[in-house]
Amino acid sequence: MTLSRRAFVLGTLGGAALAWSGYALRRQLRRRAWTERVFIGRAPDYGMDLTGLMLAGFREVGLRAEEVQGRRVLLKPNLVETAEGKPQINTHPAVIRAAAEVFRRMGAGEVVVAEGPGHVRDTHLVLEQSGYAEMLRAERLAFVDLNYDDGVRVKNAGGWSRLRHLTLPASLLEADFVVSVAKLKTHHWAGVTLSMKNLFGVLPGSYYGWPKNVLHWAGIPQCILDVTATVRPHLAIVDGIVGMEGDGPIMGPPKAAGVLVLGRNLPAVDATCARVMGVDPWRLSYLARADGHLGPVGEAAILQVGEPISAVATPFALLDVIPAHRGLRRKP
Amino acid sequence: MPAEAVRAIRERALPEGGFRSRVQGGFRSDATAWAVLALRQAGQEAELWQEGAASLAAGQLPDGRIPVSPQHPEAFHPTPVAVLAWQGLPEFQTASRRAVEFLLAATGKHFPRKSDDPAEHDTAIPGWPWIADTHSWVEPTALTLLALSAAGFLDHPRVHDGRRLLLDRQLPQGGWNYGNTRVFGVTLQAMPDSTGVALTALARGVPRAQVAASLEYLHREVSRLRTPRSLGWALVGLSAWGERPPAAEAWLRACLRRQEVAPYETESLAVAALALCPQGGLLPWEGGTM
Repeated sequence: MTLSRRAFVLGTLGGAALAWSGYALRRQLRRRAWTERVFIGRAPDYGMDLTGLMLAGFREVGLRAEEVQGRRVLLKPNLVETAEGKPQINTHPAVIRAAAEVFRRMGAGEVVVAEGPGHVRDTHLVLEQSGYAEMLRAERLAFVDLNYDDGVRVKNAGGWSRLRHLTLPASLLEADFVVSVAKLKTHHWAGVTLSMKNLFGVLPGSYYGWPKNVLHWAGIPQCILDVTATVRPHLAIVDGIVGMEGDGPIMGPPKAAGVLVLGRNLPAVDATCARVMGVDPWRLSYLARADGHLGPVGEAAILQVGEPISAVATPFALLDVIPAHRGLRRKP
Repeated sequence: MPAEAVRAIRERALPEGGFRSRVQGGFRSDATAWAVLALRQAGQEAELWQEGAASLAAGQLPDGRIPVSPQHPEAFHPTPVAVLAWQGLPEFQTASRRAVEFLLAATGKHFPRKSDDPAEHDTAIPGWPWIADTHSWVEPTALTLLALSAAGFLDHPRVHDGRRLLLDRQLPQGGWNYGNTRVFGVTLQAMPDSTGVALTALARGVPRAQVAASLEYLHREVSRLRTPRSLGWALVGLSAWGERPPAAEAWLRACLRRQEVAPYETESLAVAALALCPQGGLLPWEGGTM
């Protein structure tokens, strides 16, 4: 049997179109079926019973003790720079303390705190000046400086950027349960920084530089998706008790939002946080692209538990001078 | 060098030669280069540092670079530290020359600054990056200037450009950070370790007046620093300009005896050890065992 060139081309194009429509249909069906629970807890200050609030949140999102019993839990805070007198920069140590206590009560075999700050080579200085050193000593929590950890090349499971591989720290790969414990902040390159962007900190500076400039050249939104898809954290907790508005992630003023947001799916948690901040998550390119691939972003697909968004939403200042902030505001 | 620092660095030594970055883990050329520098300076553990120096040469790639690991050729930032570690060792002269040739040819990504660029530094000045195909930043540029100076290239055009880059990245209020000065119209914060390494690289290369605000910044900060990397670099930087505080050694010894939150990485221990040398330990044309 012979096949004419025209028939071959038409057949190929038809096959490609069929495959594409099948992919689009599957994605649409998956999107409709994919729902996630996200907990919003009201937390007016860091002195409150954050452990109790977190326990309630874990129950609401269906986290069971069996999932962490005897396991190695890695808490990844957002530690950016030294922060004396600036509680809006880093995940507050009280939030990490509470998370560690909850996981220990649930029977975790080991809880470690691990971070690789993006700007500062002296992570110990950040620990000292942000209140972490005191907390880690008091709670006898181990800390791993991911910037100097041995790197292991793994396949980039995302494929959004041109990076074919990512180098992850050995300590992260040894963990059984990874938690992104982020801060509720605006960001002058990414729009906002929440549980997904926080994962840039797991990539060791020894292999990515200070700042982690490899990711900037490869595209920040694309790399946020790639790192999230490759690391696949098990839980996200966002410290919005005091966040940052304006010129985040370092130079902006504090914004007391009084919330702790948590959930098992990072895009769903970040979409909820964006709505709390008065930001339309669909206008954040990485969240819009994550929808249906890494989690749901649509409001209807996220079951909010705890406080409703409307009860805690407080618009974070966005700056016109910052291109990544333009057009992000959520319409009421 | 205090016994604590020697012991900690020695514990990172691998049986096959070279050093780890942390208590556990595998060979790292960055940790090895720093450990060799510190142990040579201290005149201790000759067998370990000789094996370390040899392991750096064994890991050198054909183009002369020394990557963090063989799987990561793009991460070539250990190269200038290896040049410093090999300084004055005849058996590594060839390896050192090849590394210097690589450094003279290597550069970060540079481009003319657009008028609406949110970052205000001069993006066109060539320096050195941490990782291939990225922009040039303060610390790799400063360390490469030190390595090239040690190799006798004090007046090379790349060295002049490197000094120009560092001066351009100096913060208006004094001091350096990783390498951004003002972004979206806001001046960023200085960091003591970045400031110390930049000042060390500029010593004897520029007049004091050009870095006076940065020296003042370090003088203000140094007495309250308690971590080996920041305190070490601050003291190395001040010592390079002949402004070492009299209490330097006491601060360093107290710092190394403090209960650490987590084990310091090898590089931090090495920088603190080098800072114990009265001249700061890193100026290639001065003192020590180099």
